[in-house]
Amino acid sequence: MLFFRSEDLVRAWCRARGIEPRPLVTMAQLWELAVAWYATRLTPEARRPGPAEMRQIFARVGLKEPFWDPQADVFG
Amino acid sequence: MDFDGNVKQAVYQHFANTGTAPASDQLAAQLECSTDDVRAAFARLQQNRVLLLEVDRETIRMAPPFSGVPTPHRVEVGRQTYFANCAWDALGIPAALHREALVHSSCGQSGAPLRLQVGLEGPEPSRWLFHCQVPAARWWVDLVFT
Repeated sequence: MLFFRSEDLVRAWCRARGIEPRPLVTMAQLWELAVAWYATRLTPEARRPGPAEMRQIFARVGLKEPFWDPQADVFG
Repeated sequence: MDFDGNVKQAVYQHFANTGTAPASDQLAAQLECSTDDVRAAFARLQQNRVLLLEVDRETIRMAPPFSGVPTPHRVEVGRQTYFANCAWDALGIPAALHREALVHSSCGQSGAPLRLQVGLEGPEPSRWLFHCQVPAARWWVDLVFT
């Protein structure tokens, strides 16, 4: 999980490793994910999101590809 | 809260206060239990994907978003420095602490430095992007690689 300065640089990074580029995430989207995952992490009630909740979080942020499905098996 | 919950809270509070992972004997003294009790709790917390341990099964490598080892993703909050496990966790640290932060990282391809101010409502406007190679279903197969 890395930062990149541009989409072209993501593509170059993937090309060098022979892999397909994955869905790109903006910094605003990443912040929403960070809050959803970690805003309560220091509290006694904290828990990791389960699969259904993960799907809801990703969908709410606009990430709806199977890539983000925690139970998908379509990516080789 | 049960014993594992107490251990988890103590681990996270130690990371939040110091930026480093606590040792099992430190936690044992703090929680007034044996080191073996703490090690056993660590194992259960790893099984529940709360912690990731080193191969010695005692040293904490990750208590997401915190890293127990230095990484290229450094987060400054006030005078405290933290290391994040990945780009996602670099924003996760200010989100977890509910504090403003300065994130230092770099572009995965060009190596260009990233210096990102993060406020209580999120990062400053930025055209940088986040990219994850591993699909969500496989993140915990090898979390260090992810």
